Amino acid sequence: MNKKMKIALGVVAASLVMSSALPTSAQAAFSNPKNPKLYIGYQGPLTGDNKQTGIDEIAGVQFALSLYNAAHPGYQIGLKEIDDQGSGTGAGVVAPGTAKDKSIVAIVGPAFSGASVASFPYYRAAHLPMISPSATKVTLTDPTVKSDFGGPYFHRLPSKDDKQGPSLAHLAIKGVTAPAVYVVNDQSSYGVGLDGYVQKALAASAGVTVVGKDSVDGTNTTLDFSPVISKITAGKANVVIYSGYYAQAAGFVKQLRNAGYKGIFASGDGTYDPGFITDAGTAAEGARLTASSAVFQDAGKAITDKFTKLIGTAPGTYATEDYDATNIILSCITAGSHTRDKIQDCINKGSFKGLMGNAISFDANGDVAGTGFINSFLVKGGIIVSTGQIK
Amino acid sequence: MHTLISQFWQLSFSGIAQGFIYVLISLGYTMVYGVLRMINFANSEIFMVGTFATVVMTRDVLNHPANSGDLHGFTLIFTMVACLIASMLASGGIAMLVELIAYRRLRSRGTNRLAPLISAIGISIVISESVSLMTAGRAVPAPEVLHKTSLVTLLGANIRVDQLMVVIVAPLMFFFLQYFVNNTRLGKGIRAVSMNEETAKLMGINLNRVISATFLIGGLMTGAAAFFFETVYESTKFNIGFSLGLAAFTAAVLGGIGNIRGAFFGGLFLGLLETYASAVLGSQWKSITVFVVLIVVLLFRPNGLFGEAVQQTRV
Repeated sequence: MNKKMKIALGVVAASLVMSSALPTSAQAAFSNPKNPKLYIGYQGPLTGDNKQTGIDEIAGVQFALSLYNAAHPGYQIGLKEIDDQGSGTGAGVVAPGTAKDKSIVAIVGPAFSGASVASFPYYRAAHLPMISPSATKVTLTDPTVKSDFGGPYFHRLPSKDDKQGPSLAHLAIKGVTAPAVYVVNDQSSYGVGLDGYVQKALAASAGVTVVGKDSVDGTNTTLDFSPVISKITAGKANVVIYSGYYAQAAGFVKQLRNAGYKGIFASGDGTYDPGFITDAGTAAEGARLTASSAVFQDAGKAITDKFTKLIGTAPGTYATEDYDATNIILSCITAGSHTRDKIQDCINKGSFKGLMGNAISFDANGDVAGTGFINSFLVKGGIIVSTGQIK
Repeated sequence: MHTLISQFWQLSFSGIAQGFIYVLISLGYTMVYGVLRMINFANSEIFMVGTFATVVMTRDVLNHPANSGDLHGFTLIFTMVACLIASMLASGGIAMLVELIAYRRLRSRGTNRLAPLISAIGISIVISESVSLMTAGRAVPAPEVLHKTSLVTLLGANIRVDQLMVVIVAPLMFFFLQYFVNNTRLGKGIRAVSMNEETAKLMGINLNRVISATFLIGGLMTGAAAFFFETVYESTKFNIGFSLGLAAFTAAVLGGIGNIRGAFFGGLFLGLLETYASAVLGSQWKSITVFVVLIVVLLFRPNGLFGEAVQQTRV
């Protein structure tokens, strides 16, 4: 055996060992119809650190499309996956192409706030309507903040972080005597914003001390948190509130529990994802989470079973909002809106009905009219369980 | 500042544990530099492969999946030793492969210094992107093997069993390496090549063998660091080597690259500095502090803290 062959064999052997041992991604069982008339795009993280969110979300879109295509044999709608990896940089790469692809008439997404901001200029220029199931940064629908505002083409279903922040703060300190709170954000567009509203709410709550705050590099999911943890221990904090996404939250809570921290760990909708538990294991237990999301399973066993049967996985996070967003677009298509401009008009003016029987219509800035809601969740026995709406 | 005073010993202990991980990785840079006068830019990926070897060993080979509980007694020790060996061998093997592919042929053709630099960066990208494809770019959790018990509280610092292990075993490995380089035949060969390649060749030293051994030793140390890292942090990712590799390279330069004692003090210094800076100024100031200090040190000691004590103590 000559040297070159030895090298080649070594490389092959090494990659075989590694590939056999590593997990492969599970994709839902949905296939596009033959010759679809139009396409709906789904934009979110389908690869990268936070891809579990995207995989759960796209399943909701796929379920709505499967039902629609089965009921409308003459009018088949396809799905195009737009993977922005949940980041602004990722969105900057895929958004220009999506804007140019005229077969896409509307987008469910973008899933994340930073990715939304980066996509807006392209979609606004191309008149492409969006309905996000999960982007919660306040300024996305604030016309006075020109750099972040997505209107008139951006719409979203969840409540904003100015509602989530206080809810998260109250959930975190609920039942804790003399709460000593430590807040941490991940320096992302979403994390910094949410953290600000959390801190504001904490400052306004009687009897709460904020013992410290920190800001960590959210792009580094394998960060050494020991300096932060030392400060948490030193300040004798009994509540830690993390504003950021689940991949890093998992690493953080793991190190926190390993260091012997026994208090409350609370986080917002960025952590509301089963991936958080997969990555953090038993350290995730007891974590309190908030999200402006309705649990799909609450819609009843019949439709939940149907979802599981058609898609191959049980409905996950934001399945309800993705299902609703897709159905809003589909109902516009059924009503005869087949171009971007017509669908945009239909979304802005129409009123729709959600999975939970709720009425949905959008205000001038793209938010759902009305007060909205925030649900609370608890990690218990390795799953995220709903603990009801936060009043 | 208050945190630094009240938590001084806790921070110091964590900083030293982190510092010893840097020490071992920076040996991968410093050994190669000492012999070839070239930076091994693939060392960060050699580290990353080591972390995955630990995960694969525990989770798949020894069939101990994530969240299946901690191990105790003989199984615990057996698993840890097996993981340490797996990490060291995987990293050492990859390091030799890197030398063979990225350096040897280019060297025998007598190219300039830039070509191997680029080929090392190239091979490092190939390795990390391949792992990214295999893991779909996700963080891979390592099963918890060792329960992170706090053994004693010393001067207010929690002495955790995993960090204590790093603080004890890592310096042992370092001193073993130093003994090896100073006292064995191969070690003398490595030092001879480091001092003068041509003369060493004339003395009958097999250059390829010495260089290959240097990469292997650097890789073994980096692999040990990877094992310690996984035991403490229990998570890895395709790009994990980047930030750690950069830190270890910084430590090597700080101590005086090419000097193994320099790597020791550079690594410890960096580990402590990072921890203190994060505690006093906040985590967002960590990197700024580290590089400001590095630049200041280099302004006064261009060859690093121990760079002046050249030839004899060099690899």
